[in-house]
Amino acid sequence: MKKLVVTLIPLLLAAGAACAKKEEAPPPPPPTAPATTLPAPVSVTAVNLGKAVDADKKVSAPTEAFGPKDTIYASVETAGAGHAKLRALWSFVKGEKTAKVDETTIELDATGPTTNEFHIAKPSGWPKGDYRVEIFLGDAAAPAMTKTFKVA
Amino acid sequence: MANGKDDKDDDMPDFSDVQSGASSTAPAAQVYQTYEVKPGDSLSKIAKQLLGDGNAWKKIFDANKDILKDPNKIYPGQKLKIPKS
Repeated sequence: MKKLVVTLIPLLLAAGAACAKKEEAPPPPPPTAPATTLPAPVSVTAVNLGKAVDADKKVSAPTEAFGPKDTIYASVETAGAGHAKLRALWSFVKGEKTAKVDETTIELDATGPTTNEFHIAKPSGWPKGDYRVEIFLGDAAAPAMTKTFKVA
Repeated sequence: MANGKDDKDDDMPDFSDVQSGASSTAPAAQVYQTYEVKPGDSLSKIAKQLLGDGNAWKKIFDANKDILKDPNKIYPGQKLKIPKS
């Protein structure tokens, strides 16, 4: 009998402790809908200038110096997803004055990174001097990125 | 002009013959040029100058129905979308 009591007491104590622990355990969280991550909106990550682009719309030999008969390309890379408006504003810069050269917009629905090219040509030849291209995203008043270049 | 200094000086070069374009790796991207209407312009004149075909005026009219109600009434200073794709 003594043996039985000695054996049962630790067992009962262990069972009691287990029960007590069970009661302390926090209730399981209520079922929730699976977490959804909203994709980041489109942003401009890089602008490169060059005299040509490859099939991926990327400039293979970036440069900021052009000749009067060159076609000038701006390759614009974006990250993020969603509807976006990319606007390239090309300008001639002479001291404090600027003259608009061209303004072209691409409207796109990005599902991931994109590469976009804008290009300008002037059959009669580019006037020598300083130029810039500003890349605007959406209707923002300030450009997302600006690149300057020279025609010599 | 972004900085408000788009001075149209006589000593500034003429860029009216500039040809431009754009494309994207994104599917179904739409490309358009922005053109500011000058005195004496008409949609067919702009279509001839920028799209190479005066009969393409309707493409321009359709792309700008939000600001144009009559294809014969455009005004200097209006900014038109010229579809390129």
